[in-house]
Amino acid sequence: MTQPDTWQIGGRELSSRLFLGTGLFPNPYVQQEAIRASGSEVLTFAIRRVNLSATEDDSILQHIEPGQFTFLPNTSGARTADEAVRIARLARASGLSDWVKVEISANERTLLPDPIETLRATEQLVKEGFTVLPYTSDDPILCKRLEEAGAAAVMPGGAPIGTGLGILNPYHIGLIVEEAGVPIIVDAGLGSASDVTQAMELGCAGVLMNTPVAKARDPIGMARAMRLAIEAGRLSYLSGRIAKKKYATASSGYDSLKLT
Amino acid sequence: MNIIINGKTEKLENVRTIEDIVAHYDLLAKPIVVEADGVVLTREQWASTDVREESRVELVHFVGGG
Repeated sequence: MTQPDTWQIGGRELSSRLFLGTGLFPNPYVQQEAIRASGSEVLTFAIRRVNLSATEDDSILQHIEPGQFTFLPNTSGARTADEAVRIARLARASGLSDWVKVEISANERTLLPDPIETLRATEQLVKEGFTVLPYTSDDPILCKRLEEAGAAAVMPGGAPIGTGLGILNPYHIGLIVEEAGVPIIVDAGLGSASDVTQAMELGCAGVLMNTPVAKARDPIGMARAMRLAIEAGRLSYLSGRIAKKKYATASSGYDSLKLT
Repeated sequence: MNIIINGKTEKLENVRTIEDIVAHYDLLAKPIVVEADGVVLTREQWASTDVREESRVELVHFVGGG
Protein backbone atom coordinates (compact mmCIF):
# COMPACT_ATOMS: atom_id res chain seq x y z
CA MET A 1 0.00 0.00 0.00
CA THR A 2 1.38 3.38 -0.92
CA GLN A 3 -0.76 5.60 1.32
CA PRO A 4 -1.45 4.99 5.02
CA ASP A 5 -4.52 2.83 5.54
CA THR A 6 -6.22 4.85 8.28
CA TRP A 7 -9.86 4.95 9.31
CA GLN A 8 -12.12 7.15 11.39
CA ILE A 9 -14.50 6.90 14.31
CA GLY A 10 -16.29 9.91 15.74
CA GLY A 11 -13.97 12.30 13.94
CA ARG A 12 -10.85 10.58 15.30
CA GLU A 13 -8.35 9.15 12.84
CA LEU A 14 -7.00 5.72 13.75
CA SER A 15 -4.10 3.75 12.34
CA SER A 16 -4.49 0.61 14.43
CA ARG A 17 -7.47 -1.68 13.81
CA LEU A 18 -7.20 -3.49 17.13
CA PHE A 19 -9.19 -2.37 20.17
CA LEU A 20 -7.77 -4.05 23.26
CA GLY A 21 -9.54 -4.84 26.52
CA THR A 22 -7.74 -4.31 29.81
CA GLY A 23 -9.19 -7.13 31.94
CA LEU A 24 -7.67 -10.46 32.99
CA PHE A 25 -3.99 -9.68 32.39
CA PRO A 26 -1.63 -11.47 34.80
CA ASN A 27 -0.06 -8.21 36.01
CA PRO A 28 0.28 -4.53 35.03
CA TYR A 29 3.71 -4.99 33.46
CA VAL A 30 2.55 -7.72 31.06
CA GLN A 31 -0.53 -5.66 30.27
CA GLN A 32 1.54 -2.60 29.42
CA GLU A 33 3.91 -4.59 27.20
CA ALA A 34 1.00 -6.37 25.49
CA ILE A 35 -0.67 -3.02 24.76
CA ARG A 36 2.58 -1.81 23.25
CA ALA A 37 3.04 -4.97 21.17
CA SER A 38 -0.55 -4.81 19.91
CA GLY A 39 -0.11 -1.30 18.55
CA SER A 40 -3.61 -0.56 19.86
CA GLU A 41 -4.75 3.06 20.13
CA VAL A 42 -8.11 2.31 21.77
CA LEU A 43 -8.42 0.59 25.18
CA THR A 44 -11.61 -0.64 26.79
CA PHE A 45 -12.52 -0.52 30.47
CA ALA A 46 -15.46 -1.34 32.71
CA ILE A 47 -17.02 0.88 35.38
CA ARG A 48 -17.37 -0.58 38.88
CA ARG A 49 -17.96 0.58 42.44
CA VAL A 50 -14.81 1.51 44.35
CA ASN A 51 -14.00 -1.10 46.99
CA LEU A 52 -14.29 1.06 50.11
CA SER A 53 -12.49 -1.45 52.29
CA ALA A 54 -9.37 -1.31 50.09
CA THR A 55 -9.20 2.19 48.63
CA GLU A 56 -5.41 2.11 48.51
CA ASP A 57 -5.64 -0.40 45.64
CA ASP A 58 -4.03 0.74 42.42
CA SER A 59 -6.30 2.28 39.86
CA ILE A 60 -5.98 0.62 36.46
CA LEU A 61 -5.33 4.05 34.99
CA GLN A 62 -2.07 4.33 36.94
CA HIS A 63 -0.56 1.76 34.62
CA ILE A 64 -1.68 3.38 31.37
CA GLU A 65 0.42 6.11 29.81
CA PRO A 66 -1.90 9.14 29.78
CA GLY A 67 -2.76 10.91 26.54
CA GLN A 68 -1.59 8.02 24.37
CA PHE A 69 -4.93 6.26 24.00
CA THR A 70 -8.60 6.75 23.35
CA PHE A 71 -10.59 5.23 26.22
CA LEU A 72 -13.65 3.17 25.39
CA PRO A 73 -15.54 2.49 28.64
CA ASN A 74 -18.17 -0.24 28.42
CA THR A 75 -21.53 -0.53 30.16
CA SER A 76 -21.02 -4.14 31.24
CA GLY A 77 -23.22 -5.06 34.16
CA ALA A 78 -26.19 -3.26 32.63
CA ARG A 79 -29.30 -5.33 31.98
CA THR A 80 -31.46 -2.53 30.60
CA ALA A 81 -31.04 0.55 28.43
CA ASP A 82 -31.61 2.81 31.45
CA GLU A 83 -28.81 1.12 33.40
CA ALA A 84 -26.46 1.39 30.41
CA VAL A 85 -27.23 5.10 30.01
CA ARG A 86 -26.53 5.65 33.71
CA ILE A 87 -23.16 3.88 33.48
CA ALA A 88 -22.29 5.82 30.31
CA ARG A 89 -22.98 9.13 32.06
CA LEU A 90 -20.76 8.10 34.97
CA ALA A 91 -17.98 7.15 32.55
CA ARG A 92 -18.21 10.45 30.72
CA ALA A 93 -18.15 12.42 33.99
CA SER A 94 -14.62 11.09 34.50
CA GLY A 95 -13.59 13.57 31.82
CA LEU A 96 -11.53 10.83 30.17
CA SER A 97 -13.73 10.04 27.18
CA ASP A 98 -17.08 10.61 25.54
CA TRP A 99 -16.89 7.26 23.74
CA VAL A 100 -18.99 4.42 25.10
CA LYS A 101 -19.35 0.76 24.26
CA VAL A 102 -22.98 -0.16 24.89
CA GLU A 103 -23.00 -3.61 26.42
CA ILE A 104 -26.28 -4.93 27.77
CA SER A 105 -26.34 -8.62 28.61
CA ALA A 106 -29.62 -10.40 29.00
CA ASN A 107 -28.35 -13.82 30.03
CA GLU A 108 -25.54 -14.55 32.44
CA ARG A 109 -24.58 -17.88 30.90
CA THR A 110 -24.12 -16.59 27.35
CA LEU A 111 -23.67 -12.85 28.02
CA LEU A 112 -25.38 -12.34 24.68
CA PRO A 113 -26.51 -8.75 24.10
CA ASP A 114 -30.16 -7.77 24.45
CA PRO A 115 -30.87 -6.34 20.99
CA ILE A 116 -33.90 -4.24 21.94
CA GLU A 117 -32.32 -2.62 25.00
CA THR A 118 -29.09 -2.08 23.01
CA LEU A 119 -30.98 -0.16 20.31
CA ARG A 120 -32.83 1.92 22.93
CA ALA A 121 -29.62 2.79 24.76
CA THR A 122 -27.88 3.68 21.49
CA GLU A 123 -30.68 6.07 20.51
CA GLN A 124 -30.60 7.80 23.90
CA LEU A 125 -26.80 8.08 24.14
CA VAL A 126 -26.52 9.47 20.59
CA LYS A 127 -29.07 12.13 21.64
CA GLU A 128 -26.84 12.98 24.60
CA GLY A 129 -23.82 13.51 22.36
CA PHE A 130 -21.82 10.36 23.10
CA THR A 131 -19.73 8.58 20.48
CA VAL A 132 -21.62 5.29 20.66
CA LEU A 133 -20.21 1.88 19.73
CA PRO A 134 -22.82 -0.79 20.47
CA TYR A 135 -21.80 -4.41 21.04
CA THR A 136 -24.57 -6.37 19.38
CA SER A 137 -25.72 -9.69 17.92
CA ASP A 138 -24.48 -10.55 14.43
CA ASP A 139 -27.85 -9.77 12.88
CA PRO A 140 -27.55 -7.76 9.65
CA ILE A 141 -30.86 -5.91 10.06
CA LEU A 142 -30.19 -5.01 13.67
CA CYS A 143 -26.70 -3.74 12.81
CA LYS A 144 -28.21 -1.48 10.14
CA ARG A 145 -30.81 -0.21 12.63
CA LEU A 146 -28.03 0.66 15.09
CA GLU A 147 -26.22 2.57 12.35
CA GLU A 148 -29.44 4.45 11.53
CA ALA A 149 -29.78 5.28 15.24
CA GLY A 150 -26.47 7.12 15.00
CA ALA A 151 -23.87 4.60 16.16
CA ALA A 152 -20.36 5.74 15.23
CA ALA A 153 -19.38 2.10 14.63
CA VAL A 154 -21.27 -1.16 15.08
CA MET A 155 -19.69 -4.11 16.90
CA PRO A 156 -21.29 -7.49 16.20
CA GLY A 157 -20.08 -10.44 18.25
CA GLY A 158 -18.21 -13.26 16.56
CA ALA A 159 -19.19 -15.65 19.36
CA PRO A 160 -20.12 -15.26 23.04
CA ILE A 161 -17.66 -13.24 25.14
CA GLY A 162 -14.58 -15.11 26.25
CA THR A 163 -15.36 -18.34 24.37
CA GLY A 164 -12.62 -18.13 21.74
CA LEU A 165 -14.92 -19.93 19.30
CA GLY A 166 -14.11 -17.51 16.47
CA ILE A 167 -16.60 -16.13 13.97
CA LEU A 168 -19.55 -18.52 14.16
CA ASN A 169 -21.44 -16.88 11.31
CA PRO A 170 -19.05 -15.43 8.72
CA TYR A 171 -21.94 -15.17 6.26
CA HIS A 172 -23.74 -12.70 8.53
CA ILE A 173 -20.60 -10.70 9.30
CA GLY A 174 -19.97 -10.43 5.55
CA LEU A 175 -23.53 -9.18 4.93
CA ILE A 176 -23.23 -6.68 7.80
CA VAL A 177 -20.05 -5.25 6.26
CA GLU A 178 -21.63 -5.07 2.79
CA GLU A 179 -24.57 -3.05 4.09
CA ALA A 180 -22.68 -0.80 6.47
CA GLY A 181 -22.01 2.91 6.15
CA VAL A 182 -20.03 2.99 9.40
CA PRO A 183 -17.05 0.86 10.53
CA ILE A 184 -17.88 -2.70 11.57
CA ILE A 185 -15.77 -4.08 14.41
CA VAL A 186 -16.01 -7.74 15.41
CA ASP A 187 -16.24 -7.70 19.19
CA ALA A 188 -16.11 -10.82 21.34
CA GLY A 189 -15.54 -14.51 20.80
CA LEU A 190 -12.31 -14.37 18.81
CA GLY A 191 -9.64 -16.85 19.88
CA SER A 192 -6.53 -16.63 17.79
CA ALA A 193 -4.73 -14.90 14.94
CA SER A 194 -6.62 -16.84 12.26
CA ASP A 195 -9.97 -15.54 13.59
CA VAL A 196 -8.67 -11.99 13.40
CA THR A 197 -7.42 -12.48 9.84
CA GLN A 198 -10.82 -13.87 8.87
CA ALA A 199 -12.58 -10.81 10.33
CA MET A 200 -10.36 -8.53 8.28
CA GLU A 201 -10.80 -10.62 5.11
CA LEU A 202 -14.57 -10.28 5.56
CA GLY A 203 -14.05 -6.53 5.30
CA CYS A 204 -14.38 -5.54 8.95
CA ALA A 205 -12.73 -2.25 9.90
CA GLY A 206 -11.34 -3.67 13.11
CA VAL A 207 -11.59 -6.16 15.96
CA LEU A 208 -12.05 -5.79 19.71
CA MET A 209 -10.64 -8.42 22.02
CA ASN A 210 -9.47 -9.01 25.54
CA THR A 211 -9.44 -12.65 26.70
CA PRO A 212 -7.51 -14.17 23.76
CA VAL A 213 -4.60 -11.82 24.43
CA ALA A 214 -4.78 -11.53 28.23
CA LYS A 215 -5.21 -15.27 28.86
CA ALA A 216 -2.77 -16.53 26.23
CA ARG A 217 0.29 -18.38 27.57
CA ASP A 218 2.34 -15.41 26.36
CA PRO A 219 0.09 -12.35 26.19
CA ILE A 220 2.81 -10.12 24.75
CA GLY A 221 3.56 -12.57 21.94
CA MET A 222 -0.16 -13.01 21.25
CA ALA A 223 -0.70 -9.23 21.13
CA ARG A 224 1.95 -9.01 18.42
CA ALA A 225 0.42 -11.99 16.59
CA MET A 226 -2.94 -10.23 16.55
CA ARG A 227 -1.41 -7.05 15.17
CA LEU A 228 0.28 -9.00 12.37
CA ALA A 229 -2.92 -10.96 11.71
CA ILE A 230 -4.81 -7.70 11.22
CA GLU A 231 -2.15 -6.45 8.84
CA ALA A 232 -2.22 -9.69 6.81
CA GLY A 233 -6.01 -9.96 6.75
CA ARG A 234 -6.50 -6.33 5.82
CA LEU A 235 -3.94 -6.51 2.98
CA SER A 236 -5.52 -9.72 1.74
CA TYR A 237 -8.95 -8.04 1.73
CA LEU A 238 -7.68 -4.97 -0.11
CA SER A 239 -5.75 -7.07 -2.63
CA GLY A 240 -8.75 -9.12 -3.75
CA ARG A 241 -8.59 -12.88 -3.24
CA ILE A 242 -9.22 -15.39 -6.03
CA ALA A 243 -12.66 -16.94 -6.33
CA LYS A 244 -13.19 -20.40 -4.86
CA LYS A 245 -13.98 -23.09 -7.44
CA LYS A 246 -14.57 -26.78 -7.55
CA TYR A 247 -11.87 -28.10 -9.89
CA ALA A 248 -8.14 -27.66 -10.36
CA THR A 249 -6.33 -25.21 -12.62
CA ALA A 250 -2.72 -26.06 -13.43
CA SER A 251 -0.39 -23.15 -12.73
CA SER A 252 1.66 -23.80 -15.84
CA GLY A 253 -1.10 -24.59 -18.29
CA TYR A 254 -2.17 -28.14 -19.17
CA ASP A 255 -0.01 -28.47 -22.34
CA SER A 256 3.17 -28.15 -20.32
CA LEU A 257 2.51 -31.57 -18.76
CA LYS A 258 3.02 -33.32 -22.17
CA LEU A 259 6.62 -34.24 -22.90
CA THR A 260 6.01 -36.16 -26.19
CA MET B 1 -25.70 10.61 59.72
CA ASN B 2 -26.63 7.47 57.80
CA ILE B 3 -25.66 7.56 54.14
CA ILE B 4 -26.05 4.72 51.66
CA ILE B 5 -22.70 4.43 49.92
CA ASN B 6 -22.24 1.89 47.13
CA GLY B 7 -25.38 0.13 48.33
CA LYS B 8 -24.33 -0.15 51.99
CA THR B 9 -25.54 2.03 54.85
CA GLU B 10 -22.59 3.84 56.45
CA LYS B 11 -22.70 5.94 59.61
CA LEU B 12 -20.53 9.01 58.97
CA GLU B 13 -19.90 11.94 61.31
CA ASN B 14 -18.94 15.46 60.27
CA VAL B 15 -19.79 15.13 56.58
CA ARG B 16 -21.83 17.82 54.92
CA THR B 17 -20.92 17.57 51.24
CA ILE B 18 -19.89 14.98 48.69
CA GLU B 19 -16.35 16.31 48.92
CA ASP B 20 -16.34 15.49 52.65
CA ILE B 21 -17.34 11.90 51.86
CA VAL B 22 -14.68 11.50 49.18
CA ALA B 23 -12.09 12.90 51.59
CA HIS B 24 -13.31 10.56 54.35
CA TYR B 25 -12.41 7.57 52.17
CA ASP B 26 -9.13 9.20 51.12
CA LEU B 27 -10.14 9.24 47.45
CA LEU B 28 -9.60 12.90 46.59
CA ALA B 29 -6.48 12.13 44.57
CA LYS B 30 -8.02 9.14 42.75
CA PRO B 31 -9.73 9.20 39.37
CA ILE B 32 -13.21 8.42 40.67
CA VAL B 33 -16.70 9.52 39.64
CA VAL B 34 -19.56 10.24 42.02
CA GLU B 35 -23.30 9.94 41.62
CA ALA B 36 -25.41 11.46 44.39
CA ASP B 37 -29.13 10.69 44.66
CA GLY B 38 -29.24 9.69 41.00
CA VAL B 39 -27.31 12.69 39.65
CA VAL B 40 -23.87 12.27 38.11
CA LEU B 41 -21.57 15.01 39.40
CA THR B 42 -18.56 16.71 37.92
CA ARG B 43 -15.61 17.11 40.25
CA GLU B 44 -16.35 20.83 40.53
CA GLN B 45 -19.79 20.03 42.00
CA TRP B 46 -18.52 17.89 44.88
CA ALA B 47 -17.96 20.77 47.30
CA SER B 48 -21.33 22.38 46.59
CA THR B 49 -23.42 19.19 46.71
CA ASP B 50 -24.87 18.58 50.18
CA VAL B 51 -25.77 15.14 51.47
CA ARG B 52 -28.74 14.39 53.70
CA GLU B 53 -29.82 11.56 55.96
CA GLU B 54 -30.31 8.46 53.74
CA SER B 55 -28.66 10.06 50.69
CA ARG B 56 -27.63 7.44 48.13
CA VAL B 57 -24.07 7.93 46.93
CA GLU B 58 -22.16 5.87 44.36
CA LEU B 59 -18.37 6.06 44.12
CA VAL B 60 -17.16 4.39 40.93
CA HIS B 61 -13.98 4.10 38.89
CA PHE B 62 -12.53 2.47 35.77
CA VAL B 63 -11.46 -1.16 36.09
CA GLY B 64 -10.03 -3.62 33.59
CA GLY B 65 -12.62 -4.82 31.08
CA GLY B 66 -13.21 -5.69 27.47
